[in-house]
Amino acid sequence: MLTRTIGRAVLLLAVEACFFILFAAFMKTNETGYVVAFLLFFIGIGVVFKKWDKARIALTELFHEMKSVAGVGFVVMLLTLPFVFKSSPYLIHICVMAGLFAILALGLNFQLGSTNVVNFATAASYGIGAYASALLAVHFHISFWLGLLIGGSLASLFGLLLGIPCMKTKDYYLSLVTIAFGLIIYILLINFSWTGGPNGIPNIPPPSLLGHSFKDPLNLFGYQLPFQSNYYYLIFLLVGGSLFVAHRLHHSRVGLTWNAIREDEIAAKCHGIDVTWYKILAFCIDAFFGGVAGTVYSHYIGFISPENFAFIVSVVVVTMVILGGMDNVFGVIIGAILLTILPEKFRAFEDFRVLIYGVIVVTMLMFRPQGLFPQKMRVYRK
Amino acid sequence: MAEIIQQMINALLLGCTYTLIAIGFNLFFGALNVVHFSHGDVCILGAFMTLILYGLAKFLGLVTFLPGFLFIPLLILLAMILTGLIGTFFERVVIRPFRYAPLLMVLVATVALGMVVRETVRLSFPHGSNPQIFPRILPQTSFQWGGVLIRLDNLIIFGTTIFLISMMFLFIKKTRMGAAIRAVSQDTEAAAMMGINIDRTVAVTFLVGSALGAIAGILIGAYNNIIRFDMGLMGGVKGFSAAVVGGLGNVYGAIIGGLILGFVETFAAAFIPGGTPYTDVFAFLVVIFFLIFKPSGILGEKVYEKV
Repeated sequence: MLTRTIGRAVLLLAVEACFFILFAAFMKTNETGYVVAFLLFFIGIGVVFKKWDKARIALTELFHEMKSVAGVGFVVMLLTLPFVFKSSPYLIHICVMAGLFAILALGLNFQLGSTNVVNFATAASYGIGAYASALLAVHFHISFWLGLLIGGSLASLFGLLLGIPCMKTKDYYLSLVTIAFGLIIYILLINFSWTGGPNGIPNIPPPSLLGHSFKDPLNLFGYQLPFQSNYYYLIFLLVGGSLFVAHRLHHSRVGLTWNAIREDEIAAKCHGIDVTWYKILAFCIDAFFGGVAGTVYSHYIGFISPENFAFIVSVVVVTMVILGGMDNVFGVIIGAILLTILPEKFRAFEDFRVLIYGVIVVTMLMFRPQGLFPQKMRVYRK
Repeated sequence: MAEIIQQMINALLLGCTYTLIAIGFNLFFGALNVVHFSHGDVCILGAFMTLILYGLAKFLGLVTFLPGFLFIPLLILLAMILTGLIGTFFERVVIRPFRYAPLLMVLVATVALGMVVRETVRLSFPHGSNPQIFPRILPQTSFQWGGVLIRLDNLIIFGTTIFLISMMFLFIKKTRMGAAIRAVSQDTEAAAMMGINIDRTVAVTFLVGSALGAIAGILIGAYNNIIRFDMGLMGGVKGFSAAVVGGLGNVYGAIIGGLILGFVETFAAAFIPGGTPYTDVFAFLVVIFFLIFKPSGILGEKVYEKV
């Protein structure tokens, strides 16, 4: 019995390791031809799994049986990622950006996925977090860690402000309010003189922890890792935290309430659910996540300008949620990672990036509107 | 006083542009209950179409061949038809597959379509990211009238808009096709049962709406003398705002909404000190204000939720 368990655990870890190696190899490819080959290979694996029921069911069972082993293996592999990419900081940079967008997408998922409230103002909360902490750090030398909290809270306050007019409206009207809010923030950022106007804020100090500045290379176990790894581990923690919060919220009464509002608002009201309060809550939590991501972004890049928080960023985040699968926290993260990495891999077509992006979104919505990983039915155990 | 009248003229012109875009939004919403978020980009496409056609005509030597008062209307008509066809094509390819899907899908799909249109325009023009000079297709003379400077091209713009909008109302009210459009917007299923070809009616709606939008794009170009690929995003959001303020789905509401937005923007720029960079902010605040206190718009029907 014990040997069987160990055998299965080894099998599971082997599967994970295979996946991880494939991912690392994919990240390291540069030539477009190889990238396309890899993509076709991944799609092929997906198709095979879809057709070959036996293998899929066996694998899902394996993962369900040993959730903790799978989780630990996954975490360990992600932690070793900077060592794998230590000679190419650019790849670690992509991973950090993917993490940032994963936080944004997780935040938006509370609204778009769980409650079905459209929000095209993600870029605004992202920008408010970034500008708040950057201004505090540049003018008042407030540390990053405090800025993280302040940026998140300010963005959350903005979410509350945005949520109030949104309560009166639905569907298209709601999307118009959020778009208008996003554009207002963007225009204000460009025109205010104290935010640096179109030139933005340069020289934002990097965070430091226990005397170790995040701008210095990281020394771990005798290896020197590029400075991006500091942020990689930070973002790893933050994504982990967000994932935990999102997962717990999804399985709590709050998540269930959000789903009830999504399915039928009137029915939810009739069951005594305070719809307004729960919708506002979704707005605030989303904005908080956005603010936190913005804070990390501003201190990581060291320079922000209004262009970083334009309308297109909101569209990108909405797309990540839809592509990954609405209301499925893991799907959303995968959507964010995919949509951050793929454009970077097609750098050769730099000029066509946004175009290809738009085409992908439209075709994706036509052929798989439920996303790559649709939400499964809630399962309750006795 | 002259100052105020001058600003009123400007506001009317801006209002005309927004009205033309908003009519498209209202027509589409009436016919299909969708918001075509790339409509603003289709409108700007009309301006770019004029630019291309003008260049083509110049290349072929048609400019010297035909007198200006004949050549320019022909050019604009052609641009209108082409833009209308593009709008119909978008409806067929991008919007029709989502007819029975959740609202969110078509919303995101059209936002993405707007991105595709913008980028295509940007990539297909040399130095497409920079503003393109719009040909001076309208006469540039102007005259003084009691201290107010009136430009002839403004008068032409104003006259054209009123003419087109009245033509559209005649079309909707008097023709068979117009009756079909009204029927579809009231109740699609009932209209289908009465033997109305829904697909064709929707296609005509998009043709008309996009063609009117093309005029809006041309007006923007003629007024500013430049066009840029990303003007459609703001134009679309403004047109949609005008439609919502007037009452989404109500074609008359578009006129009221467009004029309100035009007046708010012009007067905020003219009479609020330091307000010029913030005109859009004022416009959006007005929109949000309207949405809070009159969510169905000025002329919109109050929507009751059915269980």
